[in-house]
Amino acid sequence: MEQKLYPRVLKFFLVVVVTILFFFPIYWIFSMAFKPFPEWTAAAGKIYWVPNNPTLDNFRAIFSPKLEMSPISGTAIRPIINSLTVSIIGTAIAMVVGIFAAYGISRYKAGGNLPFMLLQLRMFPPIAIIIPIMIMWAFLRMIDTWYGLVIIYGVVTLPFSVWLMKTFFDDIPRELDEAAIVDGCSNVGAFFKVVMPLAKGGIASTALFVFILNWSDFLIALILTDRRWTTIPVHISKLQSAMVGALYGPKAALGMIAAIPPIVFGIIIQKYLVRGLTFGAIKK
Amino acid sequence: MATIQLDKLVKRFGRQVAVNELTLEIQDREFVAILGPSGCGKTTTMNMISGLLKPDSGTVSFDGKVMNAVPPGKRGVGFMFQNYAVFTYLSVYDNIAFGLRIRKMASQDVDHEVREVARLLQIHHLLSMPASNLSINDMQKVALARSMVVKPQIFLLDEPLSNLDAALRNVMRAELKKIQQELGQTTVYVTHDQVEAMSLADRIAVMNFAVLQQYDTPHNIYNRPKNLFVANFIGSPTINFFEGIYRSGEFDLQDFTTGKVVVSKENRNAVDECVRGERIVLGIRPEHLKIGTSKQQGASGLRAKVVSFEPLGSKTIVYMHPDGNLKTIVKSSMESDYKPEIGSVMNLIFQEKDLYLFDEKSTELVMRFGS
Repeated sequence: MEQKLYPRVLKFFLVVVVTILFFFPIYWIFSMAFKPFPEWTAAAGKIYWVPNNPTLDNFRAIFSPKLEMSPISGTAIRPIINSLTVSIIGTAIAMVVGIFAAYGISRYKAGGNLPFMLLQLRMFPPIAIIIPIMIMWAFLRMIDTWYGLVIIYGVVTLPFSVWLMKTFFDDIPRELDEAAIVDGCSNVGAFFKVVMPLAKGGIASTALFVFILNWSDFLIALILTDRRWTTIPVHISKLQSAMVGALYGPKAALGMIAAIPPIVFGIIIQKYLVRGLTFGAIKK
Repeated sequence: MATIQLDKLVKRFGRQVAVNELTLEIQDREFVAILGPSGCGKTTTMNMISGLLKPDSGTVSFDGKVMNAVPPGKRGVGFMFQNYAVFTYLSVYDNIAFGLRIRKMASQDVDHEVREVARLLQIHHLLSMPASNLSINDMQKVALARSMVVKPQIFLLDEPLSNLDAALRNVMRAELKKIQQELGQTTVYVTHDQVEAMSLADRIAVMNFAVLQQYDTPHNIYNRPKNLFVANFIGSPTINFFEGIYRSGEFDLQDFTTGKVVVSKENRNAVDECVRGERIVLGIRPEHLKIGTSKQQGASGLRAKVVSFEPLGSKTIVYMHPDGNLKTIVKSSMESDYKPEIGSVMNLIFQEKDLYLFDEKSTELVMRFGS
């Protein structure tokens, strides 16, 4: 039956409003990145909704070698490498530990109350634990090192990876492992041959989620790094000059670049993201 | 060659006893069904035979060799799960080949075995299909093929037919029986469906509340049930039970106002000997309980009022209340064209040889009049 016109218009209108609301910040960063200084600065006295004179100046400002007198020129490369390094290794740690922990919890009820305690870890405000950790790290001389950050990233995102993976493993019927075991697999063999292939989608989507958490972290990196291992979010916050204050144009340029890896990662595993939601080995 | 001996198997989950002191011996090439309501411990028993679960005490032996410490993959058993556990990310071929490859069989041998078993089950045209696209019917066959292909000495089937619709279930039941007779493995079959158990098995182990109730041939399970539970569990519609008292050659049944069943002279002594306490339960199967007028031959004088009836085609089931108790239901299986009048009071007609006599306290069968 045809829907009445009025509700359809309303629905369409709401969708448009929500879409604009969601996409406006992204658009703003994108457009700001290509605006020349007179257009993004507050001193311009008016708002430019689209760049009138699109330019790559902002990118040049942060990437070009230190030829100009600008203090920010060429400073963005290192943070990008840093962010990639610590996020990828941190995600790898959380995933490897998380997969095995989640499988143990899902299949063997390992750890008793531990799984829930792990979740409670997330309920702490991070600022409450980061100061003591900073002091510990200072003693261990791990401030401003890649491993200092990586360990924390792996640990902080572990509850997420464990709980997400656990739900994926719970959805895989136990009989599948058991069938493989009766067929001659060891417990470990059944895990790698049967459970892992089925959980691929879940693993991929969890990895993306954990990666985004690590990638977008500001607080931990701000406190535990100083110079050599600052990450993109921290570096963005540092982009300002004594003369004009916050350098919104270069900030936007770096922000845009920072958005690329999660998007690329997401596109690569898109196939699995969809499958991750629909897999199921058994007809009910 | 494979016999299975279970000796005093015990398995607990926390405080709950899932299987208690189960002792069972299964002969070579025998088809044994483990039958019972859900939660009676039948699947737990199966998992202990396969090795997926370790018993808390007691032993599982194959051919006299204790298997407790042998991992499931080395026991030489084929296991088919209730929900089939087909690996949907693999093709049908890879599913069937799974066990052979784990055993590191050469690939041309794998191919030969897979094709042979696929032909036997008539799924050879599906081999290259992804298993996720199969119908439930074919999935069941793939599961069967996967457990058969490793040529197990012992075949364990956990409710393999319960997900199928009724028509297909009958077809697969016949097929299973045929395959088992051809291949001749020792087979253990878990089910809650008495028809499956009765039609397939050489012997049936009836379980309830973690305890083995009776282990016998289908004929004996039906005709000489060991206790009230077995008698009640086997047979459809279920057996009628009447509680009462035995006193000087007469059963006084409390549900009937005129409830006296007089024991014949030739059985009198036997009954006197068997009945220890006074309180007894008389059992009679609906198919042996006919209804009619008081003038008909064999009329017992027990009367019941017709409440409803179900014409099933091959027979008609009549439901009645005994005249002394409107809560009890009496079932009678009559000919297909029988049409009782609702509300009419009828006489129950049965023969003494069809009666089952149970002790009320121990619930055990104390005497069977005929056979």
